[in-house]
Amino acid sequence: MDIDLSEEQEMLRKIARDFLADKCPGTLVRGMMEDERGYPPELWREIADLGWLGLVFPSDYGGEDFNFLELAILLEEMGRVSFPGPFFSTVVLGGLPILHMGTDKQKKEFLPKLCKGDLLATLALTEADASFDPSAVTLKAIPDNDSFILSGSKLFVPDAHIADLLICVARTSPAGEPDQGITVFLVNGESPSLERNLLATVDGSKQCEVIFKEARVSKNAVLGEADAGWEAIERILALAAVAKCAEMLGGAQRVLDMAIQYSKERQQFGRFIGTFQAIQHHCANMATDVDGMRLTTYQAAWMLSEGLPCKKEVSIAKAWASDAFKRVTFLGLRVHGGVGFMEDHDASIFYRKARTDEFSFGDADFHRNIVSQELQIT
Amino acid sequence: MEFKYTKEEEEFRQEVRQFLQSESELIEKVKQEEISGAGWGPYTWEFMRKAGVKGYLTPSWPQKYGGLGASHMERYIVSEELAYCLGRLAAVGVGMAGPVILHSGTEEQKEEFLPRIARGEIEFSLGYTEPEAGSDLASLEIRAVRDGDYYIINGQKVYNTASHYSQYHWLAARTDPAAKKHRGISMFIVDLKSPGITIRPLTGLGKFRTNEVFYDDVKVPADRLVGEENRGWEYLIAALAFERTWYAGENIYELETLLDYIRNTKRNGKPIADDPTVRQDVAQLAIDIEVGRLFGLRIACIIEKGDIPTYESSMTKLFGSETAYNLAAEWMKIIAPYGQLNMGSKHAIDDGRPGRVLYNRATRSLITAGTSEIQRNIIAMQLGLPRG
Repeated sequence: MDIDLSEEQEMLRKIARDFLADKCPGTLVRGMMEDERGYPPELWREIADLGWLGLVFPSDYGGEDFNFLELAILLEEMGRVSFPGPFFSTVVLGGLPILHMGTDKQKKEFLPKLCKGDLLATLALTEADASFDPSAVTLKAIPDNDSFILSGSKLFVPDAHIADLLICVARTSPAGEPDQGITVFLVNGESPSLERNLLATVDGSKQCEVIFKEARVSKNAVLGEADAGWEAIERILALAAVAKCAEMLGGAQRVLDMAIQYSKERQQFGRFIGTFQAIQHHCANMATDVDGMRLTTYQAAWMLSEGLPCKKEVSIAKAWASDAFKRVTFLGLRVHGGVGFMEDHDASIFYRKARTDEFSFGDADFHRNIVSQELQIT
Repeated sequence: MEFKYTKEEEEFRQEVRQFLQSESELIEKVKQEEISGAGWGPYTWEFMRKAGVKGYLTPSWPQKYGGLGASHMERYIVSEELAYCLGRLAAVGVGMAGPVILHSGTEEQKEEFLPRIARGEIEFSLGYTEPEAGSDLASLEIRAVRDGDYYIINGQKVYNTASHYSQYHWLAARTDPAAKKHRGISMFIVDLKSPGITIRPLTGLGKFRTNEVFYDDVKVPADRLVGEENRGWEYLIAALAFERTWYAGENIYELETLLDYIRNTKRNGKPIADDPTVRQDVAQLAIDIEVGRLFGLRIACIIEKGDIPTYESSMTKLFGSETAYNLAAEWMKIIAPYGQLNMGSKHAIDDGRPGRVLYNRATRSLITAGTSEIQRNIIAMQLGLPRG
């Protein structure tokens, strides 16, 4: 039993922390919230050169052969600065489905480019219901000779507006159970049959509506098994949920660190505010939440890396993180008082992010339902 | 990073489980004694002796003192299994006095007391709290004055649970009133049958028995001072760093009991378990219990590595006890007005156990072993916030 990282893993963390602290100050992150593309190309090039885009992909496809746990470590550091750029969407939502579901030909076609920084990708799954239940997949994929015609729309698709590749989860047959009859397609982001609308978000994250206007895709664009794509997508959702927990953890730890620092610096009534019990208790509660995120996230990430069944542990991690990140950022902002409420304060970046991340890949209620199923309450 | 036990640790865990399963009848009787609030009775003593013979009470002590020379992880494993079967055993000899004697006592003291503690033959009552020294323990006033081969002790302790069934008092007393308060405290082993000691019962909620203990010119042999005079506070704090934790086994067991109840009890024609609100609440409890379990596991890993936990200890006790409270509160919410029925009442559910035992015990645990408020202060300080 060992809950510590290895020396190499600590090294990865340190390199990432130092690089990101230098390259992603709050001013850049806030600037990118207003920027339509959402990231500086030079920064993207640099992380490609560091091997981060290819971190978890096999070296056969241009990757670095690290495992999912190690990706979680990197994501935690990216979350700590609220990294501006389509890393999560490209690597987790684009790359992992191709890695887990693709044929060798498909992997060869997309992964090397992705690892080099030349391909942006994302997953188009949720629709107007904003649900991660298979019954919410209604976008139609109708077979037509050697192709499929995709019609319908997707909502809250991260970074779709700049994605070269959209991995679209569609319904090929409506009959039967909701998790049957689902097929996953690789769709060219530049296709003229797609209308991609960037939504204005509170936290500056790039979320899109994507309308598929009878978009034609070749049958070779099917990713994984036709009509039976949901099982693999469920697995991707588990990976995405835990990857998101890692990012949230980084942000939460950052907010705790800021709150502790501020408590030691800010004086009122002739003393440091950290000497007031209310502030002390807020910090203690925040630390408990952050440490809970840390242990549950890394337990789930480790189990996923080891290929162990962990449906309950994944949902425990995301349910906890959904609630805890909100609590931590809320208290963190309040410890800072008025200055924490200002748009140009770093604390408010995470305060807004927590409200978005709460719902990514299932909110606390959704995951508590899964936990109650795993407990076999009935 | 490995979130699983080694093969040997898993085998040890199964061995401990088998022992506990083989004693399940006795354990039921031990639980009845705990529920009565009266303290350790003959069945608890019998269990302590049986567990002691196996070395399970003090597994990480050296074999010459009755332990198994086991690793800290193995000690954690035993503690979790015991917590699952028995809830709170809270043995002071095993958990508080013994470790200090082991680390700071003379060889004679170790030989006289450690094997008997390890074998479950003796128990200590924690002699810390006083009427004017609760959370601010270092303000304790009971006075021990050296006089030849003895110390003469005068003063009073309160909420010294277990004094009425323990053989010894693990006493913190003031030996130097002129020094700063943390630097004038010494630790003593006192025979509770000593002349001059009066034990008076106090009753907490749920008929919980605790005691006032009065010292009237009590003569304690000087060789019952443990460690150096006036260094008692150091020993006490060092012991706490290793002992302050929370074993999730207790909460895991109680959750299973709650799940059993809601599966098998109907309301409005349907099992309570079908109620979506209840399902959400219970799932959250399961999540909180798992977080608490990981907190406790973290402490075990820290100590196993040879490090000393700091804020992790307070965080674990704080969170584990508050989870126990939330679990008890959920029980009370579910059984609703039945919760007002006391032991012995017709229609009481499980003889009033959810209210009388679980809820009261959980409330008490937010106060004992360091209140939740104090734990939060400690966590903040250990994270670097300035002292007031």
